[in-house]
Amino acid sequence: MTVTHNIYKPIKARVERVIDESPLIKSFVLIPEHDFSFRTGEFIELTINGYGEAPFTPSSSPLEKKKIEVTVMKAGYVTDKIHTLKAGEVVGIRGPFGRGYPVEKFYGKEVVILGGGCGFAPIRSLLYNLIAEKDKFEKVILCYGSKTPEDCIYKPFIDELRKVERFEVYRSVDKADENWKEREGVVTLLLDDINVNISNSVAIVCGPPVMMKYGTLKLLEMGYPETSIYLSMEKNMSCGLGKCGHCMMGKYYVCKDGPVFTYDEIRDLPDIWL
Amino acid sequence: MKSTFQISIHDWHLFLLELSRDNAVYVPVKTYNDIDYKLYDEDQTNIVYNIARPVTPLKTFLLPVKENVVIEKNKYNKKIIIGIPACDLKALEILDEIYLDETFVDHTYKENRERSVLIGTDCHEICENCHCTSYGIEPYPVNHADASLILMDDDIIINIHTTKGEELLGKIAPAYPFKELQAENLALIEAKREIVKRKLDENNRLLPDYTTTGILIRNSSDESWLKHSKTCVSCGACATICPTCTCFLLIDRPDFEKVRQVDACQYPGFERIAAGEDPLHKKSVRFRNRYLCKYVWKPESFNSLACTGCGRCIDTCIGNISKNKIFIEMHASSHG
Repeated sequence: MTVTHNIYKPIKARVERVIDESPLIKSFVLIPEHDFSFRTGEFIELTINGYGEAPFTPSSSPLEKKKIEVTVMKAGYVTDKIHTLKAGEVVGIRGPFGRGYPVEKFYGKEVVILGGGCGFAPIRSLLYNLIAEKDKFEKVILCYGSKTPEDCIYKPFIDELRKVERFEVYRSVDKADENWKEREGVVTLLLDDINVNISNSVAIVCGPPVMMKYGTLKLLEMGYPETSIYLSMEKNMSCGLGKCGHCMMGKYYVCKDGPVFTYDEIRDLPDIWL
Repeated sequence: MKSTFQISIHDWHLFLLELSRDNAVYVPVKTYNDIDYKLYDEDQTNIVYNIARPVTPLKTFLLPVKENVVIEKNKYNKKIIIGIPACDLKALEILDEIYLDETFVDHTYKENRERSVLIGTDCHEICENCHCTSYGIEPYPVNHADASLILMDDDIIINIHTTKGEELLGKIAPAYPFKELQAENLALIEAKREIVKRKLDENNRLLPDYTTTGILIRNSSDESWLKHSKTCVSCGACATICPTCTCFLLIDRPDFEKVRQVDACQYPGFERIAAGEDPLHKKSVRFRNRYLCKYVWKPESFNSLACTGCGRCIDTCIGNISKNKIFIEMHASSHG
């Protein structure tokens, strides 16, 4: 694919709706000025006019061309500003960029998805994709963890997901309250609860760096081959084009060569979990 | 017009004056203690030829320190850059691989590249830290120049290499007296080239080659970089002045405009992500990162050298760090 337009120039998108997901996380439904396509796992750069830009993997279905949804945790300079956005305001988007999830490689397999915190955003987009092709997978197991019950995002989506045939949902929180009826503890504990045929399975991990690390180690311990563990790496993707260097991870530009890598591709690089 | 000819330096400067009416013509000028490019005008003195590389790398003409990459620019005339050393011409290979990558062509770089006429030169002088030959680069233009020139006595010897060079320098023929290249000058040029190559080889006889350097860096311990980076102050001068370092910061401006500004992996926070994690948090890791990038990672992904041996990073380091000394030491240690 060769891009002919100005690669640095964002297209405009109107904020249609803002959804409070948790005390620190909001979702923003955006209407781009023209149809916008992406493959699940690819990311966009969201520009606040004159202020800054940050990378997000859309949390919406890749089948939807008119709207795009991003889920943003308040964590820094740009995301603080994004959280002040109101419906009707205009932002910029560039992309899509990078290498997303190779969904066709998951056909016929049991797909285990391990997610934590705001790492659910790319996973929800992937799940929309998997649901749309649900007959092509043996089964899909979501293991999702967050700090507390109120930090659990996409509650209505979880309810819908539980109704989909051959889709299983397991959740944990680090610290439960009296109403929490699911697991308490770190998210990797959920992997002890699932019934999976590892020889015919792939695992997908997306979450904060520490969770990615221990999630991967656990999956390896369970017997997953390094080539079957798909990691969505979080780095400082800035230009999105494999040029500016801020997201370099060893020989890779994460923005262009990733953000989705199999563990064997990055295993020997320094500081991958930072 | 022949592709190689000579013209008197007086006439050459008259020609440059004519060119400078419609184009930005940059020539290497000796100032107090440096040589750098300056815009040519008729009062310009101290123009120097066949010297060691100017302070500013060619990169800066193609990737300016700051450049708006969203707004459409007014058409401007050509930039004619005279006196480019071989190390900077060689560095174009990696710049082109990154910025003209067919998936995402950087149109601003492309336009800057297309509007530049590159006139290389032989290096008859070398700087203390020049080491192009240790990485297999000749100290005279071989590729990527539209033309090259050498000053011999009072004549400028011009060699045209491309159509773009022909379009520009072909204008000399009808207007100025020119001569066939004198055979004795050709012999002198060859002799001079051999002398410079021998001098560079001798100066850098202990320096490991490019591939060996990569192996040494890959096998080095983290602790050794604590020592090597001790006097580094993370100023980023090494990266910004490097002809092959290409990293930049994208700065947002009103009206969804973006400015591309030179950046350096030596600055704290270069890879920091929103949640605060930063793989390059430690100075010694940042310091090593630059050499890993140049000698280990870039060779795995690109076909071009990511160091062309100009030695500017050594000259410019206020911490008095010489990468060459580091690599010589590492090489010596590896041999017990």
